[in-house]
Amino acid sequence: MSPRGLVSLPVPAGPVRLTRRRLIALAALAPVAGAALSACDGASGAGGPDPLIALARAARDDAELIGALITATPALTDRLTAVRQARTDHAIALETEVTRLAGGTPAPATPATSTAPPAAPTTATLTAALKKSANDAGGLVATLPAARVGLVAEVAASCASWMQVLS
Amino acid sequence: MIRPAQQRTSIDQASIDALQDVLETEHAALWAYSLVVAYLPTDLAKRARDDSDAHRRLRGLIEQTLSDVGARPVSALPSYKPPTPVTDAATAQQLCVVAETDTLAAWRSMLERTSDKPLRAAALEALVSGTARCTQWRTSAGMTPVVPTFPGRT
Repeated sequence: MSPRGLVSLPVPAGPVRLTRRRLIALAALAPVAGAALSACDGASGAGGPDPLIALARAARDDAELIGALITATPALTDRLTAVRQARTDHAIALETEVTRLAGGTPAPATPATSTAPPAAPTTATLTAALKKSANDAGGLVATLPAARVGLVAEVAASCASWMQVLS
Repeated sequence: MIRPAQQRTSIDQASIDALQDVLETEHAALWAYSLVVAYLPTDLAKRARDDSDAHRRLRGLIEQTLSDVGARPVSALPSYKPPTPVTDAATAQQLCVVAETDTLAAWRSMLERTSDKPLRAAALEALVSGTARCTQWRTSAGMTPVVPTFPGRT
């Protein structure tokens, strides 16, 4: 559903002066996110690989991990099916964006990297993976261009909430 | 994003507009929570009050920030029109989902409309905490998936 129900909005204009103190006040909203942002400031300069490739890979890895959990413990199927779908949908959306930026070249088949699923995954393994995925996505939010920042922030927020739900 | 933070004395109009849009939805969310409390059982009413406090804090910070940049914060409307009339606990929880979803959309939009790092950090934090609130209301309202897959997307 898309319940954009309560508000529709015109906006007055105003002159534009900002005290630094106040900017900091609003930033104080975000101790955790702020830390993530500054931690990643230098990491997303031009020239490296598209940072969304790693996020897409992580989404695929999380979905695989959830599949392994379900296989090992079928009783978890009901509890985990939705989050597996969510991470799969994240991966598809991120891969689509990677492809778009690459000018239509299909997203490189990102090799299964570091984390082969552990032999006996647990729910704790999953929540740790989701936490990392949320932090990694959140860390890119400071510097991504407008066209990409919304998607990446959505992935961060979704992973963070799934982590809470499953903890 | 070009000048170092220490030298910044302004934010651009697009950021101000985005803040005003967020403020509109925060006003509406506060109105929604004030409406629903009477329809909710004790535990959910407490949650509604806690969530209302969270929105009040966000509203205060936005209004402060706008005032400081010389923009007049938009005022709340006297009332808002829920998509579904609130008549019981179930419709009250649905309105909470609507209110949270509206604010998520506004905060997400702000991310796209500003490149100011402190504002982006604030918006991300609001998106994360708002998604958690939305998830709780979606859960108690029986909606699936309980966590929005793309929070703030409409």
